[in-house]
Amino acid sequence: MSPVIPDGQQGPGPDAELELRWRSSRHARRLLTLGLAGVLIATAARRPEFAGVAAPAFLLLGAGRVQRRPPRIGVRVQLSARRAFEGEFVAIDVAADGNDGCSVRWTLHPGDLIESAGPTVADGPEARFTVTPQRWGQRQAGTVDVVLRDRWRLAEGRLTVTLPALHCYPAPAEQQTRVVLSRLPNRLGEHPARTSGDGIEFTGVREYVPGDRQRSINWPASTRRGRLQVNIFAAERSQDVVLLADATSDVGEPGSSALDLALRGAAAAARAYLDARDRVGVITYQWGEVRWLVPGLGRRQVYRIIDSMLASSAGWDRGASLLRLPRAALPPGALVVVFSPLLDQRFVETLRDMRERGFTMLVIDVLNAAPPGRRATVDRMARRIWRMEQEAIRFSLRELGIPVVHWDGVQSLDLPLAGYNRRPLLSRPRR
Amino acid sequence: MIRAVRPFTVGRVNATAVAVRVAACLLGAGCVAWAAEPPAHRGPAGFALFLAICGVAAGALRLALAGIPVPQDTFLLTAPEHIVVRFLTALRAAPWEEGALLAIVWLEVQHPARPWHTALLGGALVAYLLAVHLAESDASPRVLRPQVRVLAVGVVLLALGAGAGMLPASGPGAGSALLRLVAAGALIAAAALVLPYVSPPAGED
Repeated sequence: MSPVIPDGQQGPGPDAELELRWRSSRHARRLLTLGLAGVLIATAARRPEFAGVAAPAFLLLGAGRVQRRPPRIGVRVQLSARRAFEGEFVAIDVAADGNDGCSVRWTLHPGDLIESAGPTVADGPEARFTVTPQRWGQRQAGTVDVVLRDRWRLAEGRLTVTLPALHCYPAPAEQQTRVVLSRLPNRLGEHPARTSGDGIEFTGVREYVPGDRQRSINWPASTRRGRLQVNIFAAERSQDVVLLADATSDVGEPGSSALDLALRGAAAAARAYLDARDRVGVITYQWGEVRWLVPGLGRRQVYRIIDSMLASSAGWDRGASLLRLPRAALPPGALVVVFSPLLDQRFVETLRDMRERGFTMLVIDVLNAAPPGRRATVDRMARRIWRMEQEAIRFSLRELGIPVVHWDGVQSLDLPLAGYNRRPLLSRPRR
Repeated sequence: MIRAVRPFTVGRVNATAVAVRVAACLLGAGCVAWAAEPPAHRGPAGFALFLAICGVAAGALRLALAGIPVPQDTFLLTAPEHIVVRFLTALRAAPWEEGALLAIVWLEVQHPARPWHTALLGGALVAYLLAVHLAESDASPRVLRPQVRVLAVGVVLLALGAGAGMLPASGPGAGSALLRLVAAGALIAAAALVLPYVSPPAGED
């Protein structure tokens, strides 16, 4: 059975009329076998009772010939969502028009890494299937086989409908806390800054000067000191956060590989910082080339960031590198959160270079795989040397003042970042 | 995040579907037993009986395993799973019921003429085919309601065929048997002419 719709990327439109291929059903072929066997034996053996055996089968076949069979039917396919996160449920509604009283059977064949979350077979002119994508990426939702049976069930009309593509996003990890820089740009936000301002976080008291608001007078302190004292609050600022996802190496088991963890961690970080009214952008690094998204605000930015990370290689900006990014993509003074397994030496060198240019960075190590261990002494030695190299890379980054934390992808991102959430991350002055 | 995908999972089967499948198996077994009784010791009767049993058993197995989906992507399956996939594919591709029908009819021919016995066998075979169709399409027996009148005419023809077989030959020789055969064929042709008036038009149950 070949797909009727040649374009595999698109499903049928709202009023798609598709051609059916009618064939005899297995039931009809069995009846024909019985009828022919009866007639043949009746003739050969000259026993009329076998002609009687053939009679019901031929009668059913003859009666079925006069049934109406539509040459074409209208098929409507609708997905409840074209975009879904890993593990989310997506409903697929299918409906057939103009079936002329024929029974309709739908059989769903989910696409690659898309799992059915319910029955895959349904009867009736309308049906609903539920699927759930298992891994991020642009995936074909699958195909649906449509089988029409006439009222006597002697003929079957078949066609295959290709379902539309489904954009599957990586399921964001859990992150509630945020790393905040010590120097924040002079922009209204939610992070308490070191300077005083109109925030809500209390930082101290000082003597009253004309012009202070009366409501900010601290009466207990004024009573103790004999002079009017006013409360001081911290200013609230926002920061620029640039997520740097290293897509060069994809090591580890599918589903929990370094790239999976980088995408899920970056999605979680984007969501967490955007919730705090920070401007968040993303830079995706692969084999020395980058694709970026300028920092922005709002809930939609989460989807823009994920779309940017999932964009195909055809959209990569050829020749662009981290060293020649525009200021808008990598604003000075921004917090750069790096998700990388640190396996690409060029990327590590780029991180060192960025640090020397004054960017405040935090590396989340997503490497959870190691070379396979074997019993041979040479293999063990090679594995040990590889581990020492990896430790040396992380040590050198820490020596440059880049914190490196390891995340296994299972626990919340808050745990590895706990040491950097309690106090602001020191940002180096720009040279 | 990726859950382990079990390549072979049995779908939900309701009680009606189970009953229809069991009925199909019992009807097949009954047809074989009916055609084999009494045991015929001439010609290839034993081989026909063997084929009939194999056909009915394989058809029953096919119906029993119909709810197991075969994974489309078999690249990453283990060797035992590959064997199971090939077994299921072969089981579903072969026309077991047709083979069983031919073997049963062949087995019946091995016996001397017994028209009413053969007529009952014919009725059971048609019932077997209908039950197999209902079982493999998971359809309700109500879908056969439009065919009741045609099936009734078929039963009448079955009885007339058996009656023609019971009639004594008008004379010795092959001509008499041929005459009876022509009479049975004429009955079937007459029924075919009546058929458009018996069969309900489309859209009417």
